[in-house]
Amino acid sequence: MTGLEAITHHNGWAMAVVGASIVISGLAILAFIISQLHKVIGLLEKKKEPPVVEIPEENLKESASAENCPANIDVTLELYRPLIEELDEQFQLADLYALAKKYHLPHPHLSIRCLRDAGILNSLGDGVFRLAA
Amino acid sequence: MELLDLFLQFVTNTGFYLADYRNIIMLVIGILFVYLAIGKEYEPLLLLPIGFGVIVGNIPFFKGFGIGIYEANSVLHYLYFGVTSGVYPSIVFLGLGAMTDFSFLLSNPKLMLLGAAAQMGIFFTLLSALALGFPLNEASSIAIIGGADGPTSIFLTAKLAPQLIGPIAIAAYSYMALIPIIQPPIMKLLTTQKERVIRMPDLREVSKKERLVFPVVGTILCCFLAPASIPLLGPFFFGNLMKESGVVERLAQTARTAVIDTATIFLGFTVGASTQGDVFLNPKSIGIFILGAVAFSIATASGVIFAKIMNLFLKHKINPLLGASGVSAVPGSAREVHMMGLRSDPTNYLLMHAMACNSSGVIGSAICAGILWSFNMK
Repeated sequence: MTGLEAITHHNGWAMAVVGASIVISGLAILAFIISQLHKVIGLLEKKKEPPVVEIPEENLKESASAENCPANIDVTLELYRPLIEELDEQFQLADLYALAKKYHLPHPHLSIRCLRDAGILNSLGDGVFRLAA
Repeated sequence: MELLDLFLQFVTNTGFYLADYRNIIMLVIGILFVYLAIGKEYEPLLLLPIGFGVIVGNIPFFKGFGIGIYEANSVLHYLYFGVTSGVYPSIVFLGLGAMTDFSFLLSNPKLMLLGAAAQMGIFFTLLSALALGFPLNEASSIAIIGGADGPTSIFLTAKLAPQLIGPIAIAAYSYMALIPIIQPPIMKLLTTQKERVIRMPDLREVSKKERLVFPVVGTILCCFLAPASIPLLGPFFFGNLMKESGVVERLAQTARTAVIDTATIFLGFTVGASTQGDVFLNPKSIGIFILGAVAFSIATASGVIFAKIMNLFLKHKINPLLGASGVSAVPGSAREVHMMGLRSDPTNYLLMHAMACNSSGVIGSAICAGILWSFNMK
């Protein structure tokens, strides 16, 4: 059996229409879900975030150095500045951490935290940072 | 006299004596594939193992000694089990998932629709194959060539029409390798210069949490929709989760290197070896090749046309060339779209956007395979 008769016999028309509709609607739903994903995650993160307490600029450097941070944070900054310049203007901390590991800088996790705490690395949200002006 | 008999017996067992014209044709095809892979660097990762497999599979041998791929207990037969059981395609999908970066798709989700639209070639070919008299199981296996996804084609054919694995796999991989020849004329024909220079917006930064949630949501939604696609999409999204999680980097690294490479070697080699002239060269195979070309062309065209239809409703227009990368030939079709875009405007970089459509195409063709498989379950 060939031709249109064969298509009808095997229910081909219905299969083509239903199959095409399923794949288009399935991926459309997935596209809609992922288009809303960052909003949902943003909302959840906002709920979790503790209230922000404004700390005067001068106290930041002190508090950073108080918790095992180097006494002079500028030395740490000089070590990390070339690494930051290797990255884009806005970067993920994970990328900076990876570079620090690559160049075998000591205590990269602590150093980056101290740079953050000292206000040298500014958060732009979504895990993106940049060097303070 | 005994010496002469022994010598004659030996001669009658050699490939020189047993060869017929079909073996010679297939050997020439095998050598051509190897030449294209090495000399022209056309998809060498696919064409080299397949081409050499074709050569090995078409060396004539004395049947009954457990040598050939179709003979029980032969080494090739055991290796071929990974194809007929659908194991290799699943492993390839695992590695593919561990390689894929969905950031581009997550930052512009509407590109996913182009991956869906490009699957229309599959359903058009289903109708064409049925009209040509192929039974439903064979028509479904031929139709999936339109997804331009070798592992998916092999997987579905292994389940529905294992006797056609050779021609369908060769057709699917051949058309994937011929993307630079098939796709550009269709893209050019269906788009104007003004459309080809449309610039896509910059992609937004995608957070790690989004990239982590996507494989889980994708698995649940796609596999609920077409459970028959679990063997492909399950490993695919699992591979991606391993990559994105960052906590099993060693496993992700193995999946995207050693694991996928091993599966690709055996998949290509045994599929090539399965093209024994006496089984492969028949009118059905020629029909499959013609339908495969139609499927692939329709898939490309439907992606481009769908992008143009979307542009009727969108404020920020999509470059319709991206529709051609909705087929799941990763990364060949994305590269071709990018090159076509650059030819129209040397400063217009479409690669990342095309990769988004491409990765959506992988998901789309796997869903189609699941749908076609379920249509065949009676």
